[in-house]
Order: sequence, then C-alpha cells, then structure tokens
Amino acid sequence: MDKSNNHPDDELLAAYSAGSLPLSQALCISAHLEHCQSCGQKLQQLNHVGSELMQQLKPSKVSDELKNKLLGMLDSLPQDIAQEQPREIDSRVPRCLHQFIDKSYDDLDWKRVSADIHSAELCRDSNGARVELLKIKPGGSATTHTHMGDEYTVILEGSFSDESGLYGQGDFLVRDENDQHTPVATQDRECICLAVTEGPIQFTGFLHRLLNPFIRRGYA
Amino acid sequence: MALMANTTAKSDKLAHLSACIGRVAEKRDKSAFAELFDHYTPLIRAYSLAREPGADLVADDLVQEVMTRVWLKAAKYNARLANLNTWIFTLARNCRIDYLRRNSRYATEIDPTDIFNEIEDEGPGPFQMVQQSRVQQSIRAGLEQLPKEQSEILTKVYLEGKSHQQTSDELKLPLGTVKSRVRLALKKLEVLVTR
Ligand SMILES: [Zn+2]
Repeated sequence: MDKSNNHPDDELLAAYSAGSLPLSQALCISAHLEHCQSCGQKLQQLNHVGSELMQQLKPSKVSDELKNKLLGMLDSLPQDIAQEQPREIDSRVPRCLHQFIDKSYDDLDWKRVSADIHSAELCRDSNGARVELLKIKPGGSATTHTHMGDEYTVILEGSFSDESGLYGQGDFLVRDENDQHTPVATQDRECICLAVTEGPIQFTGFLHRLLNPFIRRGYA
Repeated sequence: MALMANTTAKSDKLAHLSACIGRVAEKRDKSAFAELFDHYTPLIRAYSLAREPGADLVADDLVQEVMTRVWLKAAKYNARLANLNTWIFTLARNCRIDYLRRNSRYATEIDPTDIFNEIEDEGPGPFQMVQQSRVQQSIRAGLEQLPKEQSEILTKVYLEGKSHQQTSDELKLPLGTVKSRVRLALKKLEVLVTR
C-alpha cells in the first residue's frame, strides 16, 4: 500500500490538518495521501491534536434564537446534500482532482511546453500559485522552468529519476528556486505530475504583466 | 487523582454524545440533536472567533453550517474511525475553509470539498482503535505539559488558522523557528510515529 518514499514534512501535514495551508498545497497533500497510508495515519493523529485544542477553547454561548431557528429548519433541509453522485471517471485520477477533470487526463487542454513536456493548467490559487498537470514523455527531461518560489510536485503516473534517486507514484517533492536537480522521466512510460508553482501575487498587476511577459508565463 | 477523575468524566460525556449521534442517525431524534447542539456549538463558535475575534455573525454562520452537516451526515459518522470530537473538529475545519474561500479577497476556483475527505471514509481499521484512544489520551495529557512557546504556535496554526508565514510575522520569529517548534510540539505529543 505504501508505494511512496517521499513524504510531505510533518509541519506541512500539520498545517493541512489544521486547514491553514493554501488550497493549492492542500491539493498536493491530498493527492499524496491517496497513495500513502503512513501519512494517512499521521493525519488521523494530527486531527486529534486539532480536536483536543478545540475542546480547550473557552466556550462562547450560542443564542437560543439560533438554536430554535436551526431546530425548526431540520425537516426542510434537502437530504441529498449528503448523497454523492457517483461519476464515471478514470480511476487513475485522484479524487481531489475530480473537480478539474471530466473523465480522464486526455480531456484536458494540453499545451506544448518543450519537446518533452506538455502542460495543462487546472487553476490558480488565491495566493497566485499556478496549479497544473505536467506530462513528460518517456525518457524526457522534466526540467520545466526557472521558477521563483517553491514548487510542489506529486507524481501521479510513471516515474522519474535525478541525481538523488528514483521517484515513483505518490511521491511528494518540494523544490525551491535554487534547486539544481535535473529530473528525467524513465524510459518505460510517460510521467504525469501534479505541480503547484508559487507565484508572487504582485506579478499579476497590469503594468508588471506588460513589462514582464516572460516572468508571468513562468517558462524561460 | 483529580486528573483521572477528570479523564473519566470526559470519556463518559463523550460516550453519551456518541449515543446521541446514533439516535440522530437512526431515529432522526431532535432531542438528541439538541444535546449535541448544546455541547458542541459553544466550541464551534469559539473556534470561529479564534480566527476572527469579534465576528459574531461569521461565528453563527459556522455554527449553523456545521450543525446542518451533523444532521445530514449523522448516518455516515462511524465511531470506529474517529471519536465524535474529532469528527466535529474536521467538519468545523472544512466548513471554515469553505467559508474563507467563498469570502476571500482573492478568489480561487479550488473547491476544498474533495481535498479534505471527511472522516467517514478514511482512517484506520478497527484493530487500531485501542491504539487510537491511547494516542488521544497521550495527546491530551501532552498538550497540558507543552512549553508555552510551543502551544502558542499550535494555537496559531490550528485555531487561528494562520499559515507558518503568518505565524512567523506575528510572533516575529524566523520561519524556520516556527516550523521547528511545530515539529518539536508534535514530537512531544507523540504524534510523530517513526516510519
Ligand atoms: Zn506519505
């Protein structure tokens, strides 16, 4: 079950449990958790920490008005909120990415980045981070961009290697702008990664965009 | 001795509340729901106010949102997977994330619903239950003995919902110090099992 060798730091997992992580990073943690039982167990315990801290709060009285209002509403609440609609979606797609993908990775709008890489932007986070999938052809170089902030990567399909070793499905990696690694996808198959690139939010200003089209694009 | 009695009283209370959620799930019992309401909503309200002091309307919204989910999802709650306190914490956390996303100055299209699975379908099997309750007791005891500089940071992260960077800015501490204090605290609480 534990296919992964590279895990998020404990403090990152704690921030996820606390709900204080940017949602783009939380997406990566969630994708990792689908492949990693040991982080799943840690998360359970981290949730207990949150639970215990909450029990220690000084209770703040709720008005009878609110209580009566809610009790009066119970019968008219729509019951189907609790029911999830089953969807036909490629089982390879992690649950946290279902919101961006209709049926399979093939539906995405893949754009060519280099001879070896295609990318599909999924969304932006409120902190400006770009969330995308990268598809690297077998044996292709996965060195994409000279990014400015941290980059979070989770391997969804396939594997790649660099100077420090081999990375496979579920592996979670954080790289900063000084990272000198040159990852290469293994020869046997293409590699699909979820990648979140921190982008300084001030770069989205109109003037800056005008002056720095290349910075904004992110690929140099 | 006093600590022991306190622990027993707490677990009796929790057992009673767990019976209440069972009655809500099976019989749609409103008086059981009212008991859950009385116990948990002052904590949910306090949890909201920890992040936004003085924001009473936001706190009431969170109470309403969480308790609505408790009513609708009661049948999905599985006591073998998490105790009720922890289930309520994750519901409150998820509702707060959702609220913040919808009311953020900078919009994002990321929907947290599928990111934070609710506990009903994750978690350890029954054979880990005994271990789980042991862990929870050690977490509770450990929190009381944590040095202030460490518990202060857990409070910022878990209750006030601050990022490590925000915590670092507010406490005027280097980011690395914030992270290492989180790590030290978790180690003391025995949350960090060795792999
Ligand atoms: Zn892991």
